Amino acid sequence: MNCLLCNARLPVRLNLGDLLMLRPLERPVICEQCRAGFDRINPDHACPGCGRPQEHPHLCCECEQWQHQYGWHLNHQALYTYNDAMKEYMQRYKFLGDYRLRQVFTVELQQRIRQLQADLVVPIPVTTTTMATRGFNQVLGLIGDATVAPLLRHRAVDKTAQSHKSRRQRLQTPQPFILSDSAVVHGKRILLVDDIYTTGRTLYHAAILFKKAQCSEIVSLSVAR
Amino acid sequence: MDLSEYYGRRVLIDQPEWRRAKPAPPIEVLPTMTRHGQMIRCLRCGQETACRVAALPNDEFYCPRCINLGRVATLNKFYHVPEPNQFTVTSPVLTWTGQLSPLQEEAATTVDAGMTAHRHQLLWAVTGAGKTEMMFRGIAHALARGERLAVASPRVDVCLELYPRLQAAFQNTSLVLLHGRQELPYHYAQLTVCTTHQLLRFYHAFDNLIIDEVDAFPFAANDALLFASRQAVKKAGGCLYLTATPGPALLRQVRRGHLAVSYLPLRYHGHLLPRIHLHLAPGWRRGLQRGHLPASLLSQLRRSLDNGYRFLLFVPHVADLAVVGPILQTALPRHPFTTVHAADPDRLTKVQGMRDGKYDFLVTTTILERGVTFPEIDVFVLGADEPVFSSSALVQIAGRAGRSLSRPTGTVGFWIAGQCRRVRSAVRQVNFMNRKGRALKR
Repeated sequence: MNCLLCNARLPVRLNLGDLLMLRPLERPVICEQCRAGFDRINPDHACPGCGRPQEHPHLCCECEQWQHQYGWHLNHQALYTYNDAMKEYMQRYKFLGDYRLRQVFTVELQQRIRQLQADLVVPIPVTTTTMATRGFNQVLGLIGDATVAPLLRHRAVDKTAQSHKSRRQRLQTPQPFILSDSAVVHGKRILLVDDIYTTGRTLYHAAILFKKAQCSEIVSLSVAR
Repeated sequence: MDLSEYYGRRVLIDQPEWRRAKPAPPIEVLPTMTRHGQMIRCLRCGQETACRVAALPNDEFYCPRCINLGRVATLNKFYHVPEPNQFTVTSPVLTWTGQLSPLQEEAATTVDAGMTAHRHQLLWAVTGAGKTEMMFRGIAHALARGERLAVASPRVDVCLELYPRLQAAFQNTSLVLLHGRQELPYHYAQLTVCTTHQLLRFYHAFDNLIIDEVDAFPFAANDALLFASRQAVKKAGGCLYLTATPGPALLRQVRRGHLAVSYLPLRYHGHLLPRIHLHLAPGWRRGLQRGHLPASLLSQLRRSLDNGYRFLLFVPHVADLAVVGPILQTALPRHPFTTVHAADPDRLTKVQGMRDGKYDFLVTTTILERGVTFPEIDVFVLGADEPVFSSSALVQIAGRAGRSLSRPTGTVGFWIAGQCRRVRSAVRQVNFMNRKGRALKR
């Protein structure tokens, strides 16, 4: 097995436990050097609203604005900062479409999803055009085999990808989603999962629909921030 | 998209686009992948991948092997227009006015004849024989016949060096340069200069394909490269491989008679290649750890410098540079030198410094094996038997010496811990060419 990112050989290290326990082997998919390029966010030193790394435990100014606009704010967590290594990763995974790379963060993401103890795990959907060209939903790929409730759909209107817009254009994007079944949502703790949190616009749009459907609580999670 | 962009190429089209409307003829719609049981084959790079690895959701697949050229997936189609050879030939085609030596002349004639007959041929020319100029006549005649041509190399730097030379030699012909880091968009041209990877974008496009430094790649003459060259050439097209160090795959083809071979065993100045001298230095690496170089190497280095010659010293690994550097600093205190390796940020300025005569010698890893010419130098390799030095790399390294008319010879020394196949094969290749060369000179 070789590292998915740099193609270096991964050494196989088996210990006695691996040999004796009847369980599937958990083998790393990327090498330690590549792993070290990603910058993990400590949730204790991050903004409680958007998960950006910072020293103090108060809302950052962007989240203050959301709070001001809607009267509430998200509880978002992110696993990693959006540094150069992460940018390169997303470029290859999403835009080049190397679907094998979905495995890089799956273990950590599933772990965090379990910790957050939601009733429904809702992945952010992709447009039908993206699905027809890319062939996969990057969020579903990242989540792997964990149980999800794909309750969100994109409106039929063709839209430009968020990544092609400026910050201001992103913030002015109208509601792109439809909630397909609002009855199941009632009184549930919802976990929204996306790949990257940039301005928060997408996740706020999604959260608004769930709030309207009277869910009990919303938390959200992304791989990068 | 302009129709000419499809000529002789297979252009990847996304699902929404090809589903929207069937393209008008002459555009053909071709499939991108085929499945055989548990394996899926990419029709662009020809490589097979296990379906398990190449799977996308909904029973779709993609090719992870050539993904850096843009992803080929079962979601895509290729649009292709058979090569129409729509060129207007403006004479004179060849605007190069240089002179060939009688030996080069002979090789140029063979190359020209082979290209006219669309043969598959190998030109085995020693390092520093002036291969590029020898192709000019063949290229010129082919261009005048209205053929579409490509000159490809596994290395970007070789392409970057070839392009301006070809542009100057064929000023009335349309040229295009293609490689992975190229930002200019593609356009239809009669003469394409590209990396061998880029050949995968073409399909039955070229009447003649020339591949320079075929074996420059670590995966020399590997399957993907052979596949790329085969499918980029028209079914009745010809292919010319140029190299100083043909690898086993090419030599096998020669032995089987699939490939015609012509030799150019003498350099442009008519001298033989410098012979490789082997020096046994068992345990040189242990000595290095204790801070000394083999005594025979040090005395050879001193001798070269005393004779007023500069030299290149190759070491196997980047880490060795940090050890060898200080040792030489104390051993040869009066001589300015530096160390350079592939990832060195000052690589270009250091090499230029050597050219300008700022240094008496350079200590380096394999990066300077090809394409770099310093006049009147000696060449030494410490640890030539280590696996980083392939036999073709060793021949290329040895070929750095004796390239100039002012000093057509030079000393080439390999210090080895023990005999090995790669070193022996390199020595044998040099001796083989010299034997042929001597026969010619007689």
